[in-house]
Amino acid sequence: MTSAPSSLPESPAGWRPAARALGRALTGRVLGLAAGLHQTWRRSLQVRVVTITLVVSSLLVGGFAYLIANKITDILVENAKADTLLRLRSGSDYSAKQFYLYHQPQEAQLQDTIEGTVNYLAGGDPQQTSGVVVAITADSYAGVIETRTSPATDVRPLVSRELRAAVADGKVAHQIRTGRLGDERTKYLVYGSPVPTRFGQLELYYLVPLTRQDATAADARATVLATGLALVLLLGLLAALVTRLVVTPVRVAARTAQRLSAGLLDQRMEVNGEDDLALLAASFNQMATNLQRQILRLEEMSRLQRRFTSDVSHELRTPLTTVRMAADLIFAERDEFDPAVARSAELLQAELDRFEELLTDLLEISRFDAGFAMLDSEPTDLVPVVHRVADRLAGLAERVGVAIELDVPSTPVIAEVDPRRVERVLRNLVGNAVEHGEAKPVLITLGVDRSAVAITVRDHGVGLKPGEEKLVFNRFWRADPSRARQTGGTGLGLSISLEDARLHGGWLEAWGAPGQGAQFRLTLPARAGDRLTTSPLRLVPADAALPFGGPRDGEILAIGPAGGGALAIGPGPAAEAGDRAEVRS
Amino acid sequence: MRRVLAGVLGAVLLALTGCGIPANTEVQVDGSGPAVEAGASSFRRDEPPSRTASGDDRELFVRNYLAAAAGEPEQAYPRVKKFIAPENKSRLQEKQGSEIAVNVVRLTEKPVITENANGFFSVRLPVQQIGLLRANGVLGPPVATDKEYRFSLRGAGSPGQDGPAEAGLFVTDPPNVLLLSVDALREYYQTSPVYFWSSDQSRLVPDQRYLPLAVPHERRVSEVVKWLIAGPSEWLSAGVSRLPDRTALINNATETDGRWDVTLDLPGDDSRRLAQIGTQLAWSLPELDGQLQLTTRNQSRVFIDDLKKHRLAHPVYPVNDNPQRYAVYEGAVHPLAFSGEASGPVPLAAEVNRNVVSAGLSRADERVLAALVVDAPGGRRRLVTGSGPDPVQVGNPSAQTFKTIGRPVWLRSPDPRQPYGLVVADGNLWRFDDRGRMEQVPLNVPGPVTAVAASLEGHRIALVVGGALHLAAVNLDGGVVTPGPARRVATSLTELSAVDWAGENTLVLAGTAGRSAVYQVSIDGALETPLVADVGARVTHLSTYPTNPVVRLPSALIMYEANGVAYRYPQGDTIRRDQVLEVTPPPNGVRPGSPTAPFFLF
Repeated sequence: MTSAPSSLPESPAGWRPAARALGRALTGRVLGLAAGLHQTWRRSLQVRVVTITLVVSSLLVGGFAYLIANKITDILVENAKADTLLRLRSGSDYSAKQFYLYHQPQEAQLQDTIEGTVNYLAGGDPQQTSGVVVAITADSYAGVIETRTSPATDVRPLVSRELRAAVADGKVAHQIRTGRLGDERTKYLVYGSPVPTRFGQLELYYLVPLTRQDATAADARATVLATGLALVLLLGLLAALVTRLVVTPVRVAARTAQRLSAGLLDQRMEVNGEDDLALLAASFNQMATNLQRQILRLEEMSRLQRRFTSDVSHELRTPLTTVRMAADLIFAERDEFDPAVARSAELLQAELDRFEELLTDLLEISRFDAGFAMLDSEPTDLVPVVHRVADRLAGLAERVGVAIELDVPSTPVIAEVDPRRVERVLRNLVGNAVEHGEAKPVLITLGVDRSAVAITVRDHGVGLKPGEEKLVFNRFWRADPSRARQTGGTGLGLSISLEDARLHGGWLEAWGAPGQGAQFRLTLPARAGDRLTTSPLRLVPADAALPFGGPRDGEILAIGPAGGGALAIGPGPAAEAGDRAEVRS
Repeated sequence: MRRVLAGVLGAVLLALTGCGIPANTEVQVDGSGPAVEAGASSFRRDEPPSRTASGDDRELFVRNYLAAAAGEPEQAYPRVKKFIAPENKSRLQEKQGSEIAVNVVRLTEKPVITENANGFFSVRLPVQQIGLLRANGVLGPPVATDKEYRFSLRGAGSPGQDGPAEAGLFVTDPPNVLLLSVDALREYYQTSPVYFWSSDQSRLVPDQRYLPLAVPHERRVSEVVKWLIAGPSEWLSAGVSRLPDRTALINNATETDGRWDVTLDLPGDDSRRLAQIGTQLAWSLPELDGQLQLTTRNQSRVFIDDLKKHRLAHPVYPVNDNPQRYAVYEGAVHPLAFSGEASGPVPLAAEVNRNVVSAGLSRADERVLAALVVDAPGGRRRLVTGSGPDPVQVGNPSAQTFKTIGRPVWLRSPDPRQPYGLVVADGNLWRFDDRGRMEQVPLNVPGPVTAVAASLEGHRIALVVGGALHLAAVNLDGGVVTPGPARRVATSLTELSAVDWAGENTLVLAGTAGRSAVYQVSIDGALETPLVADVGARVTHLSTYPTNPVVRLPSALIMYEANGVAYRYPQGDTIRRDQVLEVTPPPNGVRPGSPTAPFFLF
C-alpha cells in the first residue's frame, strides 16, 4: 500500500527525506497491520474458516463466471459473424452481378455502379445509418477505380494490410478492429470478400460496429460478476455462521475449563440437545464432577491427616508433661543414684527435651498445614534480630569451635516483617550452620535494597551435593539416612522456615557444593504484601569454586575447540579486567 | 488474509473485464471467396475504327473521323481526340456527363480534300445538320447551323513535329464539336424504341432512341430503364406521361439464370404503376423473351414470367390486323381487290358515298369513322363526317367550304365516342369530329400546311409545313385535340408533298430529290431509304398501313397517287380499274376513269 506522497515538497532536495519518512511510516503501519492480521489468523478459527471459504469460493465462482462471460461474448460475436457473413455473401453476389456488365476497369459507369452498389448494400439511404459501413475497394486497380464507401468515410485505418492481403488472395476473411469512423472509437467486425468481375477482382468489405454486442457482453459480465460476488459473500456468511455454531460451544468449554482450573469446581457447561456438542458438554461436565469429587476426597483425607497429627501432638503433650515432671525429679536427684542410673536419668532428660521440641515443631507444622498460621507484621529493625540470634547461639558455637562472623550494615535495616518468625528462621539457619560448620567460621550477612531485605548464612562444612539444595527443605530429610539423628534438630526446622518465608511472601533458598560448604539466603519484601523480583544478596557466595575448577582468581574463562570436535572450557589468557563471570543458579 | 481475498477478487475482476470482445484480433479466413471467371471476354465490340486503321487514305480517314464519336458517350471525347494532333487536342473542349452530345450530320457532298503547299491537307465538309445525339440516345433537333466544316489533316510524321514517327494522319484544327455522320449512326448504333404511356395512360407511345452497339448486351436493360426514367424526347413530352418524379434505377439491372432483375426506387410505391412500368419495359425490350422481375426498394414486386406472352397479352395499342384497301372511283369509295388480300364492302351507306374526292376511314372498336371530302357548289370542297356501325348511315357536312382539302385522317383516339380527326384545308390545319364540326388548330410553326398524318397510336402527327417535315405530339386531354410544339425534321427531300407513317418511328415521305421520289425516313430524319427513286410526277396522295410490333409485316403497305394514277408499294404496280370492286362496268366507248386517292381501312 505504498503510494507516492500526496504533497509536493518545494525543493527536490527535500523530497527524498520526506518520501523516505513517509515510506518508513507506511512500512511500519503495513508491518503492524500484517502482524495484527497474522495474530488474528492464528487465534480465530472462525476467521480462518471464513477466509479459506471466501478464497476457494472466489476462485471457483470466478472461474465459472469467466467461463460464462466468455461463452456469452463468444456467442454474441459468433452471431454477429454469421449475420455479417450472410450479408457479405449476398452482397458479394449482388456486386458480382452488378460488375458483370463491365469488361474493363476504365469503363465510365463502373465507378457510378460501385457507388450505387455500396449505397444499396449499406441500405440505400446514406443518411439513415445503422452503423454498418460497406466499402468496395480495388487494390489491383488503385489508380483506376477509387474506393467507395457508404456512408462516405475513410475505412483505410480499419482494414488492416493482413486482411487486404487475405482478401486479395481470394479468401473471405474477417477481423475485429477498433477505430474511429464516426464520433467515437468503436469495435468493428471487418469482413472482406473478393468480388469477381470480368476484368479482375474487386474487394467488398463490411464494417459492422459491435457496439450492441459489446454493451450486451458488458451487461452479462456485470450480472455474472454481481451474482458471483453475492454468491461468494453468501458462502462467506454461511461459513461464518456454521463456524460460529461449532466454535461457540468450544469456546464455552474452554472458558469452563479455565474456571475449573482456577478452582471454581462448581462450573458446568450447558447441555443443549443431543448432538456431538451436547455429548462433549455432558462428558465435560461428568469429568468435572469426577474431578471435583476426587479433589474433595483428597482434601478431606489431607485434612484428616493433619488433624490426626495435631491431635496426636496435643494428646502426647499431657502425658509428656507428667513424664517430664517425673524425669525432672529423677534428674534433680541423679547425684544420689549410682552412676549408671544417673547416666540414664541424664539421657532421659535429653531425650525428653528433644521429644518436647519435636512436638512443638509438629504442632507448628500442623498449624501451617491447617492454614492457621497468621503473620504478625510490624516494622522491625533486623540488625538487632541478627545480633540476638548470634548471641543466643554463641554458646553452642563456642562448644563446637565455630566462629560466628557478622556482616551487617551499621544503619538500621527496617522491614515490615514478623520478628518472631524471622528470628526463628535465622536461629534455625545459623544453628544448622554451626552444627555442620566443622569448626570453620559461619558468616551471617544482612543486605538491603529499595524493595527487599536479605540475610545469608554461610558455612564451610561438608556442603550439599547437587540436587540436595531442594531436598533440604523436605520434612524429616536426612543427607545420610544411615546416620542416626543424634545432634539437635527435629528434621522439621527448614520446613518450618520455608513456610515462614512463604508466609511473608519471601524466598528461602539454599546453595551448596561438596567440600565448599553451603549458603542459605532468606529474602523478604521490605513492605508486607509486595512482590519480590530480586534479592539484594547473591545466593552463590563469591568464594565458591565453579564446578569444573573455574578460572583462577581474577582470570577469565576461555572457551575453545578441543580434540575430537568437543568444546573445551578452561582458564583463559591472563585477564586484565577485574570483571568476573557470574553464574547464577 | 483480507489481502489475499482482495487479490483473488481483483484477479476475478480482471479476468472478467478481460474476457469481453477483444479490441483487435488476428485475421481469420472463412474460406475461399467467389473466383474470377476466366476467359469471360465474349463480348461484342462494335467500336468505330481507330485513327490508324485508314492508313494514308485521306478519304477513309475523314470517314472514320466522322465515325469516331460513335459508341458510349462517356468515351466519345477520348475517342475523337485520338484523331486530333497532340498539339491541337485542347481545341476540342470536353463536356461532361449529360452535356455530352454528338452533332449528327449528313454529308451533302463528298468531302473535298485539297493539298496545301506546306504538306497539309485542308478538308471541306458540306453538311446538313440532322440533329444532336444526346447521351440519353435521343436525336434531338440540331443546334448548330453550320453548312460546312473545314479542318486540316497532316501526316503523323510531318516535319517540324516532335515525337516518334507514327503512321496515319492527324486532324490539326478540329471543329469544336463532336461530329457523327449518318452513315456512322446507321453503322454503330441500333434504333431502339422505348415506350411511354400516353397522357391518359391508355396506350404506349414509342420514342425513338439510339443505342451504341458498343454497349454490351448485359447493360442494355439498364440503359433502357434509365431512358424510361429520364423521360421522353422533348417534342413528345406534351403527349405522354413520365414516370413519377424521383423514380430511380438502383444500380444496374442484372440477369440471373435468364431472369432479369430491375430494382427501382419508386416514390409512392404504387404496384399498379409498377405493373405499367413492367409493360413499358416489356415493349421497350423487344428482344428479351425470358422473365423479368421489377422490385422496388420497399420489396413490392412485379414478376413477368414470360415477356413474349406479356407483350401478346398487353398490346401497345389496338391495331386491326386486317387492313382493307379502298380507292375513290367515279366520286365514290370502292373497295380494291388484290389477290392474296382480303377485301370488304364499303362501310358507307350509298347516300353518303357520293361526290367523294378523297376519304379517310377508320375503325374504332365496332364502329367506323368516316371523313369524306366532297364537292361543294362553286368548285369548292366540303368535309362530310360521320360515325356509326358499319355501314355509316349519316354524313354530317361541315359548315365551312374550302378551295382545297387534303386527305382527312382520324386520330386513333382511345375514346371511340369522342373521335377526332385532322385535315389540311387551304394551307391550315383543322380538326374535325364525327358531327361535321371543324375548328382550326394553331401551330407554332409559320407557313402553309400541306399534309398531315397521324401515327398508329394516335398521339403523334407528322406535318408538312412550308414544305418541310415537322413532328408534333397530340394531346387529347379534355377531349380537345391540341398538338404540342412542332419539331422540324431535316430531310434530304425537298418540296415535300405528302407524308404518312411507315412504322412506329418511320415515315413515308414524298418530295423531290432531283426527281420526284418516295423515301422512307426515320422520324428524326437521320436514316433515309429511297423507296421509289423516280415517281415521274408529284405525289399528291399517300396512304400506308404501317409496320408495327403488334402485327408483323415485312414492310409497310403503301399506296400513293401521282398525276391521277394510284400506285401501290412494295409491289410497285399501278392500281387498275379492274381491281376496283362494286362498280358497274362503264358503257362501251366511254373511257373508264382510274381509281384515285387510295387508302387503307384498319
